[in-house]
Amino acid sequence: MEVTTGLTWLQEKLLQNYFGGKKFSLLYKASVHGFSGVELFRKCCQEAPTMSVIYSRDYVMGVYAQKSYDEIDKCSIILFVLQDTNISKCEMSLQTAWKSGIIWSCQGKLSINLETKDVKMASNIIETLGLPKNDPISIQEYEVFRCEDLLDKRKIQGITMDRESLLSTMRTYKPYGDLVPQVRILLLGPIGAGKSSFFNSVKSVFRGHVTCQALVGSDTSGISKKYRTYSIKDERDGNFLPFILCDTLGLGEKEEGLYTEDVVCILKGHISDRYQFDSMKPITSGHQNYIGYPLVKDRIHCVAFVFDANSVERLSPEIVVKIKSIRREVIKCGIVHVALLTHVDSMNLITKGDLIETDRCVPIKLKREAVQRKFGFALSDILVVSNYTSEWELDPVKDVLILSALRQMVWAADDFLEDLPPKERGRCIWWCRSLRVSTTTSWLLPACIYGIPGSSLSLYVLLPCD
Amino acid sequence: MNMTTRLTWNDEKRLRKLFGNVSLSLLYKSSVHGSGVTDMVQHCSHQGSTITMIYLHHVIIGVFMLGNYPRLWERFEEPHYSFFFPFRSKDNITEMHTFPLNMAPQATDNQLTYYLSAEKVFCLCPHNKTLYLHENVIKSLGLFQRRAPDRYEYLECEVFRVEGVKANLSYMKRIMNVTQHRNRLLEELRAYKLYADWVSKVHILLLGPVGSGKSSFFNSVKSVFHGRVTRQAIVGSDITSITEQYRTYSVKDGISGKSLPFMLCDSMGLDETEGEGLCVDDIPPILKGSIPDRYQFNPHKPITPQHSDFIAFPSLKDGIHCVAYVLDINSINNLSSKMVAKFKQIHKEVLNCGMAHVVLLTKVKNYNEVLQDNFLNMKQSMTSQSQVRNVNNMLGIPIHNILMVENYASEFELDPVKDILILSALKQMLRAADDFLEDVPLEETGNLVPFCPS
Repeated sequence: MEVTTGLTWLQEKLLQNYFGGKKFSLLYKASVHGFSGVELFRKCCQEAPTMSVIYSRDYVMGVYAQKSYDEIDKCSIILFVLQDTNISKCEMSLQTAWKSGIIWSCQGKLSINLETKDVKMASNIIETLGLPKNDPISIQEYEVFRCEDLLDKRKIQGITMDRESLLSTMRTYKPYGDLVPQVRILLLGPIGAGKSSFFNSVKSVFRGHVTCQALVGSDTSGISKKYRTYSIKDERDGNFLPFILCDTLGLGEKEEGLYTEDVVCILKGHISDRYQFDSMKPITSGHQNYIGYPLVKDRIHCVAFVFDANSVERLSPEIVVKIKSIRREVIKCGIVHVALLTHVDSMNLITKGDLIETDRCVPIKLKREAVQRKFGFALSDILVVSNYTSEWELDPVKDVLILSALRQMVWAADDFLEDLPPKERGRCIWWCRSLRVSTTTSWLLPACIYGIPGSSLSLYVLLPCD
Repeated sequence: MNMTTRLTWNDEKRLRKLFGNVSLSLLYKSSVHGSGVTDMVQHCSHQGSTITMIYLHHVIIGVFMLGNYPRLWERFEEPHYSFFFPFRSKDNITEMHTFPLNMAPQATDNQLTYYLSAEKVFCLCPHNKTLYLHENVIKSLGLFQRRAPDRYEYLECEVFRVEGVKANLSYMKRIMNVTQHRNRLLEELRAYKLYADWVSKVHILLLGPVGSGKSSFFNSVKSVFHGRVTRQAIVGSDITSITEQYRTYSVKDGISGKSLPFMLCDSMGLDETEGEGLCVDDIPPILKGSIPDRYQFNPHKPITPQHSDFIAFPSLKDGIHCVAYVLDINSINNLSSKMVAKFKQIHKEVLNCGMAHVVLLTKVKNYNEVLQDNFLNMKQSMTSQSQVRNVNNMLGIPIHNILMVENYASEFELDPVKDILILSALKQMLRAADDFLEDVPLEETGNLVPFCPS
């Protein structure tokens, strides 16, 4: 017989959250190990704190004790009842425990007898717990769990190590085939989804403290009115990090917000930094921010559709249609895209401890599946993060989520660059910082300029026009 | 008193992954519960499958026990299986040395012992904190190259219960062999040499309904060779096909960067309504190699020889050598008659060309159970499934050419069992193509000299 808990994931999650982000390890299960006090004592001695769960016909009740079974004597315990999704509790102090099969007994107020499988409670306790009166409680199953913190020192250490290795891989990352110096990641999404916050969070992780360069707000009309391309300078050597995050105006319903035409121009690299979006019309080729002949490095290499995990299912049909049509455009341009769910930390049922292993967390899994159904993204393209919005200090758990998402995005950009048709690779220019070549004067394009490190020589290679 | 394991968080995650994404519950820790055999056995007996980790100075010796932990002096009537494995902090997850045993250990007052035909092979003596290992065990675990002592002092001993898998003998055999088998397959495919040496790359065409996972299969293949989940082919689901171009993808090996001897040709999805999805009339030119990479399909109008991109005289080596019909296994029993008719029509075309063909069933949820324990063949229970028989009847494709995979579409981490299925499918396709190429009459191979205008 298998030793697995009879609690559903939801029941387990509710109890985990109720007792302050705990992880449960099942130690004893009566139907397997026998309804015997001796056996229970053997399996659970020297374990604390513990949670003992009693399965009755219609509900689950239990006892949470700070001290271990062999020490319990004059300590306080928490008696709880879980009905549907409601937990009611009653704290009491214990007088005697552990008397040949009787597990708990508190001055006649409570007695739980494992061997005769029955529970007796004083009427006032029954009332506090909201249980039906005059209904005998029988024990159908009895389980004991050890409770540990979901997030302990050992895990924090492991996560901090993960963060360091992710940070260094991101710092030393080189775009595929050195086709571009930096990959461009475009953040698209509804107003208030957390696009600018994501940039701020990424920057904060690399800076080592919380920064807030991009103005963030939850104003309904979208705070970012300008198209911004953000490069991040690495604190250590002053070089720019190998990626650029491009922040846009949020997508709104109907008239307000970003035009699809503008998005296409951005994707192809026609729009330069700080372009002021015009709410009346999309950009035209005569505009001073319009780049006529964009190079591969000016183009978008990966698109991230950003959604607030809490409101993504309630997005209006208009927005959904708009996003789907933009996604079609993105696919038409051959650009790889991912979806980014922000604010997962404030999702229902989620505690900080869940963020260390998001792929094992059922509510997050369900959310990703819901987004897949609604928009048709592949599940592996749906990433989750928790942005820095109200914190003063960095948190390694959030950092790892942010960096992992970023790594998936640069990998996606790599996949795009690898997929580039050979004739377009000619439009890649090796952008040497010492060698300023402005795009408007590069009439001899396409050409490759190779800067030779350590010398002032440059190699110009002219490629046949396509 | 601190009941946390000595393993680091990353090692714990690695261990869980090694055993097939299981959950681990710490049941016993010698420094907390007391180091005697009695203490150990009292916490661990009858808890299901367990892993015992014994921490030596430089390495951890693990013991996986499929059956229950014994009580003191308990003798098991039924067979009992275990294996030993070494676990190092910096070990690569891709290889696991094991030493299997089919005898239950014996727990006495002061030691826990494994015997193999009356000879002691493993003995844990908690009273002086030593571990005895037979030299054969040391050798097969690849431990201690130099002259090894047979007794090791250990620091601590922990026992975990393994949860979240169907723990049976077949599971244990898989866990022991899965990484080795995956690596062997990968090596085999990296070094794959085509029988017909006049073809440098086998062209495999993926054909199937919208959303059946054609592009995902390419991504999955690439992911296996790159060691991370990749997404070069854009995937997703929508009412109409996400793929609208004809793409021929070659895959490079992630380590050596060498090009692999096959190309996966991804087409637009088939749709049962006319004027949607891939045109059936586009298929013959694809098979012959007349359609170039990145050709934009037009669902209403098939390509004509007048089209500027049309390749008029393709050679046999540019054409398709193997067709893989990609189908979602969950949708087979309710394929519409229109779709079936379309498939039959296409299959006729493929048969006309005498081309190799296989069926690739995707989205196999119980993919863990597709292959036999030695990963060489499909299980009887899978081949007798109604979906497989349906495909077999519908297109008359022999069962050994009906392949099953689960694409990488939902997770970020690679899974060796999925890898094996993907690689095995690929291997079968290459073999089928090789058979086809071998069968090509000599005079046709003669025509393969690059076409030169007279």
